[in-house]
Amino acid sequence: MEAPPVTVMPVTGGTINMMEYLLQGSVLDQALESLLHRLRGLCDNMEPETFTDHELVYLLKGQQGNPFILRARRSLSHPTAPWHLRYLGQPEVGDKSRHALVRNCVDVAASHSLPDFLNEMGFRMDHEFVASGHIFRKGAMKVVVSKLSRILVPGNTDNTERLSLSYLVELSVLAPAGQDTVSEDMRSFAEQLKPLVHLEKIDPSKQRH
Amino acid sequence: MQQREEKQLEASVESLISRVAHVKNALHSFIYKLENEYERLTWPSVLDNFALLSGQLNTINKLLKNEKTPSFRNQVIIPLLLSPDRDEDLAKLTEQRVPVFSHEIVPDYLRTKPDPEVEEQEKLLSAEATRIGPEVAQKQIQALNKLCSSLLEKLNNPRDDRDSESATLRQNKSSFNPADTNALVGAVAFGKGLSKCRPPGPVPGQGPMMSGGSNLQQVPIGGGSSQQAGMGGPVAPQQQGQPGKMPSSIKTNIKSASGSMHPYNR
Repeated sequence: MEAPPVTVMPVTGGTINMMEYLLQGSVLDQALESLLHRLRGLCDNMEPETFTDHELVYLLKGQQGNPFILRARRSLSHPTAPWHLRYLGQPEVGDKSRHALVRNCVDVAASHSLPDFLNEMGFRMDHEFVASGHIFRKGAMKVVVSKLSRILVPGNTDNTERLSLSYLVELSVLAPAGQDTVSEDMRSFAEQLKPLVHLEKIDPSKQRH
Repeated sequence: MQQREEKQLEASVESLISRVAHVKNALHSFIYKLENEYERLTWPSVLDNFALLSGQLNTINKLLKNEKTPSFRNQVIIPLLLSPDRDEDLAKLTEQRVPVFSHEIVPDYLRTKPDPEVEEQEKLLSAEATRIGPEVAQKQIQALNKLCSSLLEKLNNPRDDRDSESATLRQNKSSFNPADTNALVGAVAFGKGLSKCRPPGPVPGQGPMMSGGSNLQQVPIGGGSSQQAGMGGPVAPQQQGQPGKMPSSIKTNIKSASGSMHPYNR
């Protein structure tokens, strides 16, 4: 059911099927500084970027089992920037030797009327959180170190409370389907971050219960 | 007797020269890399260079400490002939760094006294040592010996003695907590631990509609959320008591929407 690699398919229009390769880990607060130093040395040389985002997850429950999930994200540090809508598919159960979690990913930008639009379409907001932290880039790889906070009063992003005493570290690459060298590169980069943080493929369905 | 010492001296000087040549080459290539390939240099390769240099310095130290090496302090180098003329052989030998063996280079290259700062520090240390007095010095020596021996003991002891300590040590030093990782990933992936307003008690037998466990019941209902306007109305009152009914109401809504939106399709 996987789309054939891009080089084989004629490009007749529409978008290229992008896959997101993902590795996740976490780091305790006290080790955050050393992780940031190491990332600053390993990643591309640019000013370290910080971000504060508010993400809302919308669900559309259909007749079948799994609800359809869309993630809407807006920047709290750049309030006029457009919203970002993302669809993430189910993780691909390919060969177990693949080192990263691979799933279909569709990203679009949206205007500020996005939450109302989704509500009119029938989506319901399931949960929301605020993520703030640092983002680094190395070539096509993106490393995001973020602190997740729970929103205590729905809609009020000032009143937040941290979820845990750790920062979430995610290494992700957006690539067209069928490129397996990407996960090799990700794994060797993850090796360089040990023993500070162990980046690994965490299957979300295993986390549910 | 003297011949043996001479042979030893020659051999050790030869090996020292070769080791120093290795260090020189490593430094040379490192400096070249730093000056010319500045943009492409990565931190891991810089670390590799430093590790190489440190390893080479270590071998030189080991060589000097080797018992077969005679003490170089007893040897004296005396320049026999100084001339301001350029010496081609010397220039070739030193890669054009020392072209002339003259009066200017002798104080630098044949120096045996340490630098003035180092001399000052040594003088301070020896003055301090004589000031302390023999008893205090003896006590300090004993304390140092005790510390070293206890450390050695800890290192040499069998593993099972150390395992309990090292387990706790490792936990303190570890920079990540796997439980936290799972909690954070769960939160990002499907909102574990993120939603509030839980209905009293989880409802059993929710069927395939309620994938994701109890979290889906906690969609903020009625009350303060302004996002519940519009289609939220008919859903809200049914959500609280009977989640089983919710699927049917949504089905109806969707059917009606698709029916009216694509009147020409069928």
